[in-house]
Amino acid sequence: MLTPILHRKRKAAEAAARALKDDVGGAIEQTRRIYGTRLLVRGLLWASVYLLSRGLLELTIPSAPLRVAIALLPTPFFIYYLWTWMKGVSAMDELQRRIELEALGFAFPAAVVFLMTIGLLDLAVTLSPDDWSLHHVWLMLPLLYYVGLFRAKRRYE
Amino acid sequence: MKNRLKVLRAERDWSQQDLADKLSVSRQTINSIETEKYDPSLPLALKIGRLFDQSVEEIFTLEEAARRRAN
Repeated sequence: MLTPILHRKRKAAEAAARALKDDVGGAIEQTRRIYGTRLLVRGLLWASVYLLSRGLLELTIPSAPLRVAIALLPTPFFIYYLWTWMKGVSAMDELQRRIELEALGFAFPAAVVFLMTIGLLDLAVTLSPDDWSLHHVWLMLPLLYYVGLFRAKRRYE
Repeated sequence: MKNRLKVLRAERDWSQQDLADKLSVSRQTINSIETEKYDPSLPLALKIGRLFDQSVEEIFTLEEAARRRAN
């Protein structure tokens, strides 16, 4: 009695896993077609400089101007990365642009809600800066964009 | 919006990728139009019409019009 149900459930799970694999594969292929390896290379460049900057800032550097310079070091690399992304958006077709728009349409309000909640929680209980300071919390913003991208892609598959 | 894109494509024995290449869009766009999850912009609809040598109304129909025609 239970076996056909389990069998159906397993089939459904396999189909969902295949769809997810196609989805991820399709997204990678689409990104590769639009950007080539530029986005990856510039993203890795920015991430490397960011990690270097973070590492250096954790050392004891007494000079405040030097610390500020190190803190600002990843910014041009990140702008370069964003510029590549924006150039890619202009090369996308209408559906892909709509998907990007829907992803941002999800990510922006979700980020506002998230930051507002963090702010209020911080007032309520004083959140630990080791876990909830800006240099951890910003990672949620690209994550929300990717959640939005995933949702939007699924809608049109 | 209903459309006959899949039928027209099949008549010419084109794959989704072939049609996507002819229209300079992604295969995903063709798939989403065929499965009626996405309605193309007017310029794209006109390009599709020109490619198949048919008017936009012959390819794309509002659902209520399609229902009326069926009744």
